[in-house]
Amino acid sequence: MAQSLAPECTSLKLKYDACFNSWFEGYLEPAVAVPSTDRAAYARAKAEEYDRKCGAVWGSYRACVEKAMEEKGLSELVVRAREASTSG
Amino acid sequence: MRYFTQAFDYDHSWSKVVIGMWHKYPNPHCTHVMSVDVVDRSVDPQTGIIRTERILGCKQRAPTWIVKLFGGSEDAFVREISFVDPTTQTMTISSVNLSLAQFAVCNESIRYSPTPDGRTRFTQSAEIESRMALWHSVADRLESWLATRFEQNAQSGKLGFTDVLRQLWEEHGSEQHQHA
Repeated sequence: MAQSLAPECTSLKLKYDACFNSWFEGYLEPAVAVPSTDRAAYARAKAEEYDRKCGAVWGSYRACVEKAMEEKGLSELVVRAREASTSG
Repeated sequence: MRYFTQAFDYDHSWSKVVIGMWHKYPNPHCTHVMSVDVVDRSVDPQTGIIRTERILGCKQRAPTWIVKLFGGSEDAFVREISFVDPTTQTMTISSVNLSLAQFAVCNESIRYSPTPDGRTRFTQSAEIESRMALWHSVADRLESWLATRFEQNAQSGKLGFTDVLRQLWEEHGSEQHQHA
């Protein structure tokens, strides 16, 4: 997995990516196969599982990268791009 | 305005390609991608759709005339929004440049969806447009340079991701692949 834009955030980023990927790899194929009647229950259970497993490392990583983006002047560019975006 | 489109099929199932997407960088075909950061992500508890916002840092050596005219550095950043929808088996990715965005905008859209024979169709399109009323020949050269770079990167992206998927799913076996 690639590095973070800020070297001091790379170790947190790698931990977060590993957590997400491990969760995602267990999530995706059952999510495709689940019958439509059970879809909402599956999605809710897996969303909670993701928060439980990765929420803490995500919080630390996000705080680190937000600070670094602020320092590099990137936050403002991102805010502007979000405003201009039509795709979400 | 310049347009670019391409489409082809990857020899892996949609799930494998979408899992592989998060392992795409770093890869030796795409050394211009220096960093990848997730800045926002949510799992919708109703629909199961995963929305991810990432910032990719790239190094692209720009020709001297671009640096002289527009300033800027070797570091360029791109914002990418993706949606993975397991119900429809669709992954869509849209990207836009953050750097030099006051001069030119490159909007890219990508879509991964299953083919009837179990492979994955990739479609990519991009629109590149200089934003300001630049002196015409300068605007044209800027668009042209950006379009050329885009095409080169699209080609190396395809080669790189093909290798990444092969390593992820063929060399290690699908059950015990290593997390890079």
